[in-house]
Parts: sequence; C-alpha cells; structure tokens
Amino acid sequence: MTENSREASSVLAKHTYTVSAVVRGYAGRTLYVNVGDGVIESKPVTQEMKDKFIGGRGFDLWLLWNGVADDTKWDDPENEIVISSGPCGGTTQYPGSGKSIVATVSPLTNVVIDSNAGGHFGPLLKFAGWDAVEVQGKADKDVIVVIDGTTGTVRIEVAPEDAPGDTHLLGRWLLDRYAADEEARRYTSSITAGTGSEHTRMGCLNFSLYDRKRQDLRYKQAGRGGIGTVLRDKRIKALVVRSRPVKGDSNAPADLGRISRTGAEMHREVREFDPIQNRMRSRGTSYLVQIMDDYDLLPVHNFRYGSHPDTPQINGDVWEARFTQGLPDGCWYGCTIACAHAVDGYEVKSGPHKGQIVIVDGPEYETIAAVGSNCGIFDPDVVLEINFYCDTYGIDTISFGTALGFVMECYEAGVLDTEKTGGLELSFGSADAALAVLHQMGQGEAFGEVVGLGIRGMKRYFVEQYDTDARFLQDIGMEAKGLEYSEYVTKESLAQQGGYGLTNKGPHHDEAWLIFMDLVNNQLPTFEDKAEALHYFPMWRTWFGLCGFCKLPWNDVVHPKNAQSAEPSKIPHHVQNYVEIFSGVTGREVTSQDLIDMAEGVYNFQRVFNIRLGYGLREHDAIPYRSVGPVTAEEYESRADRYDEQLRELLNLEPETMSTEEKMSALRVHRERQYELLIDAVYERRGWTADGVPTLSKLQSLGIDYPEVVAVVERHL
Amino acid sequence: MILVNRREQIAWEEGLTVARLLERLRFTFPQIIVSVNGELVRRDEYGTRAVPDEADVRVVHLMAGG
Amino acid sequence: MKVLSHDPELCVGCYTCEEVCSETWFKLVDRSRSSIRIHDDGSGPLRAVFCVQCGECIAVCPTEAISQDRRGIVRVRKKLCVGCMSCVGFCPYDAMFYHEDQTEPYKCVACGKCVDPCPADALAILDEQVAQ
Repeated sequence: MTENSREASSVLAKHTYTVSAVVRGYAGRTLYVNVGDGVIESKPVTQEMKDKFIGGRGFDLWLLWNGVADDTKWDDPENEIVISSGPCGGTTQYPGSGKSIVATVSPLTNVVIDSNAGGHFGPLLKFAGWDAVEVQGKADKDVIVVIDGTTGTVRIEVAPEDAPGDTHLLGRWLLDRYAADEEARRYTSSITAGTGSEHTRMGCLNFSLYDRKRQDLRYKQAGRGGIGTVLRDKRIKALVVRSRPVKGDSNAPADLGRISRTGAEMHREVREFDPIQNRMRSRGTSYLVQIMDDYDLLPVHNFRYGSHPDTPQINGDVWEARFTQGLPDGCWYGCTIACAHAVDGYEVKSGPHKGQIVIVDGPEYETIAAVGSNCGIFDPDVVLEINFYCDTYGIDTISFGTALGFVMECYEAGVLDTEKTGGLELSFGSADAALAVLHQMGQGEAFGEVVGLGIRGMKRYFVEQYDTDARFLQDIGMEAKGLEYSEYVTKESLAQQGGYGLTNKGPHHDEAWLIFMDLVNNQLPTFEDKAEALHYFPMWRTWFGLCGFCKLPWNDVVHPKNAQSAEPSKIPHHVQNYVEIFSGVTGREVTSQDLIDMAEGVYNFQRVFNIRLGYGLREHDAIPYRSVGPVTAEEYESRADRYDEQLRELLNLEPETMSTEEKMSALRVHRERQYELLIDAVYERRGWTADGVPTLSKLQSLGIDYPEVVAVVERHL
Repeated sequence: MILVNRREQIAWEEGLTVARLLERLRFTFPQIIVSVNGELVRRDEYGTRAVPDEADVRVVHLMAGG
Repeated sequence: MKVLSHDPELCVGCYTCEEVCSETWFKLVDRSRSSIRIHDDGSGPLRAVFCVQCGECIAVCPTEAISQDRRGIVRVRKKLCVGCMSCVGFCPYDAMFYHEDQTEPYKCVACGKCVDPCPADALAILDEQVAQ
C-alpha cells in the first residue's frame, strides 16, 4: 500500500511539526495525543519543569497530574500513559543511558505506577523532537500512533484487522509497515502490549530495539503495574517512533568532551572488572539466582523459603550456556554492561505460537525467580517458555510469577481445588498447569481470567466466591498497595521490609535494596540508620528515572578503589560519574547532593499525587506478614534455630518451653511492632507526618508548594 | 572466637584464612570488601591472609538487586 | 597483513610522527589528534601506542561500524558510528583514540605517512609477523 492510499483510508488525525534540534538534553516540547477525539498538540517544556521535575519520571508525573482528576480511575478516558526518557537519555557514551520511564494510573493499585524499560523508544522520541509523549482518551477501534521525526508528522491511524495481536509478531509487522529499509529500521522503535494485556490487570509494555547484529527485533519490558492493560483499554495497538540517524552528539550535550572522558573511563572499568565481579556481560542479572539462594533470599514456594536444592538447575551458569555469547547486548548504544542477553533460535513448545523459532529476551533474575523458584519450577525450558509468552502476551513476568505462587499455595492449602481452577492441578512445580494458566490469560478465558486480576483482586474474589479466610489470604498474598512483590525474601531484613512497603508505587526493588547492608553487613543497626538508608537510597534511585539512566552501571561493576572510600555502599566514584554526565549534558553544574535534592522533590510530589487519588497514607504502607515473618508452622520449623534464637535474644523467652504456635505468635507481635517503629522513623526522616503526609514546610523547602499540591495535603494535616 | 560484622561469633580454627572464612560463612557474593582488625584485605590475598583468633572481621557486601 | 612497527631503541621522542599523523588525517598539527602516541615515563625506552589491527573492538561495537578491510586493517565507518566509546574503553592496547571536538573515535590504519618523516628511522610498515 502506498503512503497516500494508506493515509486516505486509515488516518484518523494528523499533526505536522518542525523537528527542532535537541539542546543540552532537551527537545523543549512534549507531545499530547488524544486517541479519543483526535486532538494532537505540542506543549512547551518550561524552565520550571526542568528545574523541579528534570525529565523522565518527573515529566511523566507533572503531565499526568495535570491530565487527570482526583477521582480518575485506570480505565477512565482521562487517564494517561506518559513516556519520557529525561535529559541524559540518548547519551551514547555512558553505559545505561537510554531508559524510558512510563507512568499511568494503575489498574492494580489505583495510584500512579511508574515503570522503566530499555529499548530505543525514549531516546528516539527525543530525537524526533519530543521530551515526552502523553496519550489520553479511548479510541473506538484499534489505533496506531505514529510519530515520525524524519517528516515532522504525528498520525493516529486505524490498525488494520490483520495486524497481529502478540508482540513478537506485531513488532515485526510494524517494522515492515513503517521502516522500509535497513536504515529506517535502525532508527524506528515501537511500544506494544499483547493479547494478555487485554484480559488481565498485569499487562506490560514491550519497547523494541532493532538489533543490528541479529538484524532482528528485541524487546525490553516496562513491566510493573499493568500499563499494558491501560494501553489496550485505550485501544492503542502500538506507538511507533522514527527519528533521523543517531549520532554521538544527537543529545547535544553542553560539554561533549566531559561525557566522552567519563564514558571511556567507565568502559575501561567494565572491561577490567566485570570478568572478575558479576560477569554481567556473559550472564546478565541471572548471576543473582545462586547468590540469593546462598543467602536464603531467593523466593521459593510463594516466598515461604529462601533457598532450594534445585536452584543450580536455573542459576547463572545454566543461563550463561544458553545465552548467545559475544554480542554487544546493550539495550541502548554504549551500554557495555550489556545485561540484555537473549536465547536465540528457541522453538516454542506450547500455545498458539507452538513450533515458531523465536528470540527469547532474557530471562533476567526477576523472571527466573518469579516464574521459576517461587512457583517451584526448576526447569530452564519452562522458564524460557513462560518468559517468551509473558512478553509476547504483554504480561508482567514478576506479577505473573508472584501471583501464580500465591495461587499454588492456595491450591495446596485447599482454598482452591480442581473444581475452582477448571481442572488445573496447580501445586508447586506444576509446569504444565502454569503454562495452561498463562495461555488462558492470553486468551482471557477460564481460570486465567481470575489470576489476571492480580493478587489483590484474587483475594477479594476468593473471599466473596469461596468464603475463604481473608486473614490467611492477607498473610500469604505477596502484594502491597495492590502490586505484586518483586523477588527478594525480606523476612530477616527489617530495612528491606520498609524498602518494599514504604514505596510510592508498591513493592518493587527499584527504590531500595538494603538486605545486605542491613542483614549481612550489620551497617544499619538502629532505626535511625535504617531510616537514613530509606531516605537516601530511594531518592538516589529515583534520580536515575528522572534522567533516563539505568541503575545497574552504578552498582554492578565497581572499581576496587571504592573499598577505600568513606561510604563504599554509595559507590561514590560512580555517583561522581553521574555528576559529570548530568552537568556535561545540561550545562547545569551540580553536586552529588543536588542529585538527591532533585529526586526528593519529585518523590514527594508522587506521594502527594497518591494522596490526591485517595491513597498514599500510613494505612496504605502496610505489608503482608509473609514478607515479615513465618506465616505457617511449616515455615517456622524450617528455620526454627534462627527464630528460636531471636526469641531468646530479643524477647528473653524460653522457646523450649513454648509450642510452635506460641512461638510464632510471639515472633509476630515483635516483628509487626518493629515495622511500625520503622515507619515512624522513616516518616520523620522524610519530613512526613505520622500518617505519612509530607508537611507544608517540607513541600516549601522542596519548592513544590504549588497551590494544588498544598490543597491536597492540607486536608490531611 | 572471631567476630564478623560486629554481630556474629564464629569459632576460630588453626590456619584460618580469609578465603576459608568466607567459604564457611557461605559469603559467595563477588562484590565484597573484607577487612581484618581494621585492615583492608585485597582480593588476591584472600587465600593467604591469616585470620587470627579474636579478630574483628568486617565483610561489607555492596549493593545488589536489579 | 602490513602493520605499523615502532622500535623503542631507535626512538628519540621528537613526536614528529604525532604531528604528521594529525596533519594527515585532520589537517591540523595537533598531537592530541594523533593515532600514534609516544609515551615517555622517564625511565627506560620510549613506548609507542598505536593500533596493532587485532580486531578485538569489532565485536564490541553495537552498530557494526568497525570492520576489517581486505588488507586486514581495522576501520571505523563514521556513517554507522554513534560515538559510544565502547571500543575506546575495550581496546586492550588503549589505541582507539577520541577527541572532544568530534563524536567518532579514530585509530591507526597503517597508512605509513609517519614512517619517512621519522628522523630516527624508528618506524616502519612491516608484515604483521615480522612486526611482532
């Protein structure tokens, strides 16, 4: 079909613009697209936005705040999906500088979810002239939004009925349709979901990148919080962006030399130390599987245990042998950490795509732990099959694995039986049943539809339909705020219980990962120490998402000189690299403290946003007891020595004189009290009231005391 | 006895090295910083550096987690 | 394959080669743009850093901008390069260079322009095996 005839038949709305050059990391405009009424507009990026919100997640939140109402629900037309990379996104010289950050009102949590992904979309969007894209409205038929920075046009097109539903086919179809030749393919990227996003609350987004070595598409996922579900609810089939060729100065940094120097030095560090440290370049994050098992932190059987004898069957050595080696597997140019590995030539064994030869992107640590050990599945082929289908269906692997672990425990506890699961025997380790559920989620049928509600939805459903004990479900359901936990056992680390519970979006490890500092190193012995860490690290890790950075290059390779630094856990020499890059890109000379201050403003804004939407208070920071201590006697007995000793040492009890039930009860009272004390300490450190509300003076000191922000908190002060 | 990370008491043994201690503790994470009685131990010395009885050993694990 | 060869015993450290190289490829006499660098660490013979055409950078490049030509010389194609510096950091000889005024790195392609001007006869274009 020629461009003209296609246009005549299928273009619902069109907007033309002049593609302005990027200046010091900013295109200077954001794009608004309403797929409901066809309005497409350009909005200016103000100095205030740059100063207070920086970019990336900050821009997402600001645009979303202005787009939604206090009572907006995830499936209301005014809900938006906002995508932005940030001022440093698109830098090619430094590893991990191509992230896209997405935000929306989540179908799982009803508050703002932010999730990030690699792939080329965010940087290419900027090079096509836009610092962010904001999509609102609901189409009445499937549409494709095309942003073409080579012609300066934005179009909303009707998606033809023959367009495939699942990402691994749809991405290729889009590439053939919108990128005619090899050069166009290099600078085109799409965002798609899949059929699973249409039928579940845990839909993810797939961000494509064209892999020049493989001459094929790869995908990185913005997995958390059901953003794919929102995309499909809006009936958006895909967002496609195309830019002019990327060069080393496409991001137009203020000081190219400073960035090149910092980047070249970092690449040298990766070359020298990655092979003797985590070996990210050959194993990616899969190296963590064995480590977490060794430290009793790997979720096994719905987070009951932290290790399993079969872990070596799915550990990093196994994946190193499966991953294609020797390719520059960065998800954006210049990422020599190169964790984005893949299994090539995989033959699909089940479901609607059975027999196809595909590339499986990953699996990464979170996926292996979620769909593997947490569900008692220690077969790498099954992990690969689930990984492939989750991605192509547009289902978050973390939510899927954590939710399925919950289902399996419910099945083994008798809450569910084959009558309720439609005949599926969903005990731990049941690989066939796990895949069957996944395919049902892809098709939106049978028991898969129930699992697709997510854990919070299932808890409600089981209580209503089966009269199940709500307290038991609350104890074992690994969700907080409605979001499924990511994959670390937190029972023995109070700080990390807070690292998951005291988050803005729900229990995800990208705010803080304090288990080693707290549990192993004993660096956070007091509540004040824990609170300081739960201030510093969430702010620091938020900062990455304001700028378009991945956090792995910060901590997954480290120069030995770090050992002599005053605070090795902060990895100061890498923090300084980010000072160099941010200053070098934007021309705004900053210190390491400035980075924390930037993030603190946005972090508090997000907290207020949650309060505005009816959540975000202390009661919403509650966590399930499974993440705090042993829920069942079996769990207690499996680590009885550890727990008995704690009863003796911390509570002066005599465990030998107590029944298991009594011991569990005493431990529970103690641990739940500790969590409440932690909340008190963290709120105080963050400048919040005892109910978790940022104070006026905190908002003033951060410069975000806008009248509409103040109005929200005043109702709670 | 030796003290690890200001908390855990570990029985001392004849000929104890840093490498052997890490093995006993199952400290397999590659990104660690070890000091014995306040003195940093380089990675290539783990196999040879002796850990004396009553030593104050710190094994700082750096951050992990995707 | 023919590669550049440097004899530290003969080199007098006059840096003529660096000047000739930058003038040849950048039309500027500016040693910071040279693809051969003479290092004098104050003790022992002078050391020269330049590409030995080992090709290790080829697999590191994410855009297939680096390849070996028919003569075995490793070349950076500017059109494909996105300036990511991966090759600079991963060169085992630190012989891939960059300059802050341009995005693409550059390297010795054994053109031999520095050989004749060398007053000490310390440079030559030799067969790879002989050079080693």
